[in-house]
Amino acid sequence: MITAQKPEQADGQGGIRFLPAGGHGLVVSFDNTSTKAGALKANMDHTRKARALAGLIRQAGVDGKLSGIVDLIPGLTNLLVQYDPLHISAKTLQEIITPWLDHLTEDSGKSRHIRIPCCYGGELGPDLDSIADQLKLSPDEIVARHVASTLEVAIMGFLPGLAYMKGVDEALYLPRRKTPRARVPALTLGIAMDQTVVYPMPSPGGWNLIGRIPIALFDPNKDDPILLRSGDKINFYPIDINEYHKIYKAYHDGQFLVEIA
Amino acid sequence: MTDASITMIKAGPYTTVQDIGRAGHQAVGVPESGALDQAALRLGNALVGNAPHMAGLEICLGGVQIAITSPRRIALTGSVAATMVITDPSGHKVTVYANRSFRVHAGQEIHIQGLSGTNTVFLAISGGIGTPLLYGSRATSPNAMIGGLDGRLLKDGDVLPLCPDMVRPDAAMGSADRMLSDLTVYDAPPRIRVVLGPQDDRFTDQAKAVFLSSTYQVSPMLNRMGMRLDGPVLDHCDNADIASDGIVNGSIQVPGDGKPIILLADHQTTGGYTKMATVIQADLPVLARLKPGDAILFSAISVEDAEQAARDHEALLRHAIDTMVAPPPMNDIASIASVR
Repeated sequence: MITAQKPEQADGQGGIRFLPAGGHGLVVSFDNTSTKAGALKANMDHTRKARALAGLIRQAGVDGKLSGIVDLIPGLTNLLVQYDPLHISAKTLQEIITPWLDHLTEDSGKSRHIRIPCCYGGELGPDLDSIADQLKLSPDEIVARHVASTLEVAIMGFLPGLAYMKGVDEALYLPRRKTPRARVPALTLGIAMDQTVVYPMPSPGGWNLIGRIPIALFDPNKDDPILLRSGDKINFYPIDINEYHKIYKAYHDGQFLVEIA
Repeated sequence: MTDASITMIKAGPYTTVQDIGRAGHQAVGVPESGALDQAALRLGNALVGNAPHMAGLEICLGGVQIAITSPRRIALTGSVAATMVITDPSGHKVTVYANRSFRVHAGQEIHIQGLSGTNTVFLAISGGIGTPLLYGSRATSPNAMIGGLDGRLLKDGDVLPLCPDMVRPDAAMGSADRMLSDLTVYDAPPRIRVVLGPQDDRFTDQAKAVFLSSTYQVSPMLNRMGMRLDGPVLDHCDNADIASDGIVNGSIQVPGDGKPIILLADHQTTGGYTKMATVIQADLPVLARLKPGDAILFSAISVEDAEQAARDHEALLRHAIDTMVAPPPMNDIASIASVR
């Protein structure tokens, strides 16, 4: 649920900027520091504002107050509004949404909490041992800290169903690999920076791979093919390779229900 | 005879089922997808009497050979020069030019040999291809492995179902062949028009000047996700990293190596690299037709001019569709073909 409080003048002081993406996209940026290096440390507050604005625009479309919106893509520090220039201009769009920009808040009270099993290390998590050396932590300690981190899906993107989950324990902070792998197997879990991703399908990827999950994040045969959503709170819990195979089979037989609270 | 279908006797190197795409779900990572040349899609569907969004074959990089099990009207678009050869079971051949519709019969074969100077053509079939819908679209995204046939490039022997052929009762020429009489919609601008941004401020002034004054070449690293360009390197002020954000069709991303990549219909929905500029919507179909080695130059225009260009492009498309005419009978086409 998203609420807009009383609109005040959207000001340049607050750092909100409108940036063009051709004549068919308008970026509403909440981060006035993105021109400087180090922008990777995205502030969750910016992410939540981007998501909240997306919610307001979507609702305005449903209510018939705004037309010509093609898609809304929340980023870590901005919202990309893709529009149809045959129906609306960037100028009009900017005028309409400017009053909504102050006090964008997202009601996090209804966010879901999802527990996902993960088999860490071994063949399914080939980087666990090497990052243990880098981080000067034991593999067990890395797993313990990863499962203790309650993550939040900041944004979805890159591939269908891929969630950028923020909130990984600071002790596990690592850059992405210098050379990305050409192919990461589906449902492999990777960490980098303060984030975790799970590749929903085989893909090239540069994250540090520490485990694999036995349940699908994207299943085109389901009514709602995508398991995770922005704002979801996620905890992983460790399983061994036998449990991995057992759950994998049960899930694909329709006998394993993902814990969603 | 089974249900209406086409069989890919030779699927070609990079042929996919495409339609208008599935915009609206990029916030969960589902790419927009759809025909690289949306103008060709519109024109092809209009020529065969389809609704504008319906699915046909996008044929990239090389030709195809197709057998059809049901009488249908077909049209090849996306090029002024391309041709297809229709072969009877008896071996009789007819050459059919692009930008007209033509009635084919069950058992005939459609052979598109080369792409005649372009990189992508579109084959529209009346009724449209009937592979399963995902988020309301049949478009194939090979990297996301969704849409089309099992989310992949077509291969030899694939059989694609066709939807029932509905001749639109409101169309004056609903049951006749048509051809475009005005091909100006295919005219390419001398330079590809871009709007600078959203992260042009992350590049040196020198890099911006180089970008707008240099001739780039389309690299062989070209697919539905993007088109890498060879040419002068663009220097960043500091580095190429940004907090991941959304991408539109035409975004020109410049990673750390300074080499621009124009992102196309199957682009990843978000990315973590600086974007120098965005190709305007009206010029996206032109990109679909560029081949590896082709030269590409950019000129920067304002957002307002980009929006006006989209309206002008739409007017040209509508004019091309409104001025479709009945083509001369095939024997005349054959004699024209022999004269050329």
